[in-house]
Amino acid sequence: MTALRIDRRMLGGLARQIPRGAVLVTGTNGKGTTCRLLARVMDASGLHPILNHEGSNQPTGLVTTLLAHSSMFGRLPADEQAIGLFEVDEGSLPEILPQVRPAALVFTNIFRDQMDRYLELDYLTRRWEEVLRALPDDTTLVLNADDPRLAYLAAEQDNPRVYYGLEDLGQGRGTDQTSDFPRCPRCTGELTYDCVFYAHLGHWECRDCGLTRPAPQVRVAKVDLIGPTSSRLQITTPASEVVVEIPLPGLYNAYNTAAAAAAASACQLPARALPAVEGVTTGFFRMEQVTIDGREVHLALAKNPNGYTEVLRGMLGDGKPKHMLLGLNDRASNQQPDVSWIWDIDFESLRGLVPAAVLSGNRATDLAVRLKYAGWLAPDAGERSTDVVVEADPLRALQLALARTPDGEPLWVVSTYLVLWQLRNWLRRQGYVGALWER
Amino acid sequence: MATRRLTLGYLYPEIMSAYGDRGNIATIMRRCTWRGIDLDVHELRLGDPVHPDDVDIFVIGNGGESQQRLVAPDLCDVKGLAIREAVDQGAALLAVGAGYELLGRFYQPSRGVELPGAGLFDAWTIQHGAGLSTASRTITEARAERAIGDLLVRWDGGEPDGSLTEPAGGELLVGFENHSARTYLGPTARPLGQVVIGHGNNGDGREGVRLGGAVGTYLRGPCLPRNPALADFLIRAALVRRHGEADLEPLSDDLEHAAHDTAVLRVTAATRTGRRPGISRRVPAMLTRIVLPAGQAPAGRG
Repeated sequence: MTALRIDRRMLGGLARQIPRGAVLVTGTNGKGTTCRLLARVMDASGLHPILNHEGSNQPTGLVTTLLAHSSMFGRLPADEQAIGLFEVDEGSLPEILPQVRPAALVFTNIFRDQMDRYLELDYLTRRWEEVLRALPDDTTLVLNADDPRLAYLAAEQDNPRVYYGLEDLGQGRGTDQTSDFPRCPRCTGELTYDCVFYAHLGHWECRDCGLTRPAPQVRVAKVDLIGPTSSRLQITTPASEVVVEIPLPGLYNAYNTAAAAAAASACQLPARALPAVEGVTTGFFRMEQVTIDGREVHLALAKNPNGYTEVLRGMLGDGKPKHMLLGLNDRASNQQPDVSWIWDIDFESLRGLVPAAVLSGNRATDLAVRLKYAGWLAPDAGERSTDVVVEADPLRALQLALARTPDGEPLWVVSTYLVLWQLRNWLRRQGYVGALWER
Repeated sequence: MATRRLTLGYLYPEIMSAYGDRGNIATIMRRCTWRGIDLDVHELRLGDPVHPDDVDIFVIGNGGESQQRLVAPDLCDVKGLAIREAVDQGAALLAVGAGYELLGRFYQPSRGVELPGAGLFDAWTIQHGAGLSTASRTITEARAERAIGDLLVRWDGGEPDGSLTEPAGGELLVGFENHSARTYLGPTARPLGQVVIGHGNNGDGREGVRLGGAVGTYLRGPCLPRNPALADFLIRAALVRRHGEADLEPLSDDLEHAAHDTAVLRVTAATRTGRRPGISRRVPAMLTRIVLPAGQAPAGRG
């Protein structure tokens, strides 16, 4: 407790020294990618962003990040162009926000994640609402218009707001299986959707009180999902209209790019800097590409049902069969042994696209049962079945998966943290990738 | 044999499906399909009326307290009578966590007036802690008063006259519990089983409730995929009610049993050593390595 109190004081003291203040990015999914995209735009605008990294998005980690930039007396070097750009763990926002007093506060989305840690989404949003009451008047809220839980956060406050959202109706689906369908944030009535992009994100309206999705100032007018590793986006902001091609797949990255563009707009960064998002590098495990003895291997982290579903859709969206290694473990940090969320991953609609899968991690058998009940092992007539092997040990699983993938085909790895962490440590020892801290 | 049909009533799917509860639906669905039983899934939402003759298996899952407040009046006033009559006629029912808490006599939240229960089970639930309603408390504090962890339960395997007097008898159900409310059984209620490891209803050694083909439980996971015997108990009850017979051909449940046994070993090993095992080193190799040769479909697929 003492350490935490010191952390809080230090965080406030350190954050106040940054000349241009800070931008905070929070939400369930996409925090890190949004930060990396926005960092590119800041760089291109002549700013010098100070970033934290995943794993240091709680109070102690933020202090550590800032201390790494400081002198031994806890002073940050004088740099007029320095700006903080911090991803913030959604559960830690109430502790961090009062210390940092950001210029802009970006919310990506809110999904069910590690239920036993954050308990309930309603509880989390109530805590956010409470802490937002103390928000400085000049902090700009950057909000996802398509997420009904976020669009009207702190609705009674006069803070400036920049909304972002997707407008390419061609990317919509009728409805989507989701475990956390929100009710109307104003009257708890039932929401109807003109268009669902995924999960509960889309163009929504309350059937009872008529509350509707706010019109976003930053819009993704057109999304071309080029393949499993890149996409082309037409983005309209109040200041410009650009087409960018980013090395990131899937609708979830269209949202991340829109969030970064909206944050750039909130910070009044020049419009000419926006195309710099094209230079983003894939983050640690965010579709990271490794070559192992001539074979392409793509590594993607997925730790909640919506993330897992969207990563799989991004990979398999081109309809071409892919060999996979899927991992599941229940033992990251302080999590409880609950993997019920795998039943909310939409494996059903992706059946027939994976000829072979190796399942790994300490809950690999649970994943095998999940795939069996999704029909992957014995699909409907005319569909391809998946040849499934369970190998709990991640390194043996990787060897097995490489051996089972035909020559010239890439291997696609999707997993929770621990399996990927073990794989990556091994890859580093073998010299296939640099250390995590070299990125 | 003529095609057998069953109807499943999925109560409040968009509101009460917070913990992978769709997995229970998928399990009942597949295990019927694999045996050539046609299963219709009817989604029963707020305001939808239901007739007791129309549904053979009811399923209600999990949500938070705000979701419970939303559905409690509907469950009580619109659907409660039909559910009670259907179960009285032998229909099956699975109520998990928050759904289980709403099918007793009442649910007393941490603050405010009690929510009426649907009155199916002779049981009631009391939220002793402050729950999640005090927004200023930290998540760590809110979590400390919850019963969270693995839950291992011994039950009679669904035998109609099964009793749990034999301590070593019965079969194990395995799952995960995460609840801060405590459920108390009235004098006429019969528990689903006895707690081996975990907390269960309220710490008195009993877990869940069973009334004919109806089961209320704190077992999450979701519970049916890893406990196929419980899934088949529900299907069998529904078949008896609708078709007067309960012929269920056995399925090849190797994967399900592996997941079940892995979980049992993991839980018991953790309890013995006082800590959690590392990545599956403690689990026998036969359980962690199951190879299904290409093209081999699980047995019993119709």
